[in-house]
Amino acid sequence: MKRNFWWVLVIAPLLTPWARAVKVGESAPDFQAIDSNGLQQKLSQYRGKFVVLEWHNNGCPYTRKHYESGNMQQLQKEWTGKGVVWFTVISSAPGQQGYVTAERENDYLKQMKASPTAALLDPQGEVGRLYSAKTTPHMFVINPAGVLIYDGAIDDKATTDQADIASARNYVSQVLQEATAGKPVSTATTRPYGCSVKYAHK
Amino acid sequence: MELVSEQDALVPGKAIWLGIRFDLEDGWHTYWINPGDSGEAPRIAWRLPAGFEAGEIQWPYPERLAAPPFADYGYQHQALLIAPIRPPAQLKEGQSAKIAALVDYLICQNVCIPGREQLELSLPVKNRAMSSAARDLFNTTRSRLPRPAPRDWKVSVISLGDEFLLDLKGQQLAKAPQFFPLQAELIENAAPQQTTPLPGGIRLHLKKSTHLLQPIARLRGIIVLGPEKAYLLDVPVSQKLGRVRRART
Repeated sequence: MKRNFWWVLVIAPLLTPWARAVKVGESAPDFQAIDSNGLQQKLSQYRGKFVVLEWHNNGCPYTRKHYESGNMQQLQKEWTGKGVVWFTVISSAPGQQGYVTAERENDYLKQMKASPTAALLDPQGEVGRLYSAKTTPHMFVINPAGVLIYDGAIDDKATTDQADIASARNYVSQVLQEATAGKPVSTATTRPYGCSVKYAHK
Repeated sequence: MELVSEQDALVPGKAIWLGIRFDLEDGWHTYWINPGDSGEAPRIAWRLPAGFEAGEIQWPYPERLAAPPFADYGYQHQALLIAPIRPPAQLKEGQSAKIAALVDYLICQNVCIPGREQLELSLPVKNRAMSSAARDLFNTTRSRLPRPAPRDWKVSVISLGDEFLLDLKGQQLAKAPQFFPLQAELIENAAPQQTTPLPGGIRLHLKKSTHLLQPIARLRGIIVLGPEKAYLLDVPVSQKLGRVRRART
């Protein structure tokens, strides 16, 4: 009886591809990825800092809303300026919308005046699947203890219209403001909105 | 995309049904009121002459659009979103009225394209109206609208561990119904909805979304038993503590 029970624990996660590996309040799983400058980035090397993960696809109209308006760049600048680590993660598979080579991504960052700590290239979708990243953008915030404190949308206006940004409540800023001030996070999960992440078809 | 009317004329004071028709090429889809894991539902803002009133959009039941490990809820090929419009009683016969709808929508194939279109329709005002050429499409759409659950059904929901257990008892239940939640982030949209038999009914296992951090008071959604058999559910959720039955140690 007891043996059967343990089997379920071992096998169930392997059989349930929809099972989310990450949950707010739990440890954010570690990952490694190569960034657009060819450097190996490992989440756990940033223990002690807040880390933002931003799922990205430069062709997606929702991503474009936040880049062509300058909203995402402004957030990156503000929060990296305050010591937050910001990873833009690109999980589009080769041939899919948003897939970029390192060189193309560096050109894009320069052109858009974007300043994440690093842009992680994840063409196999390993980091994306590990975090169950659903949309572009899809935002995650990890605290200095390595605990996931936010999983969801960038803001509360689920549209492609740049005009909505000014009146939107930005969840990422809200979470970082609260958490850096030592306050509890008031909104820890929301529905991420955007295009689906363009993973490799399995 | 087109704004269509079920009838060929407006009759003063009498509601008629209008619809926004999506004609999507193969492989493209748009979204239900709860779009699921990605995407966005169409938004419709009526631009009506003075004195006209619009009722709520009626959403036909959607298709589950699976993209493992995720799933969206939406429509392929053709979809009609209908709403009642009531012209004022003082409207004069012999005139015509222009009705417009500003539609914001997203269509996706592998890539997504957002759109905004102002759709317009002019209808004459008469003392009686006939069916328009779009009548059949309205009837087809109505057959796909969720109806109130049959009175002989007994429906209850238990929250247990990482599942909602939706118990349905009644006549003519399908073996493998599909549940579509009206609210986002309640269940894992792509998780299989397994059924187990109950005396006089079935139990549907719905895996909770990991985004759901607080208990919910009610589960609202629609249950689809088969083609043209969709029913509205709005059921209080009873909380059961614990996860699975464990042997005492």
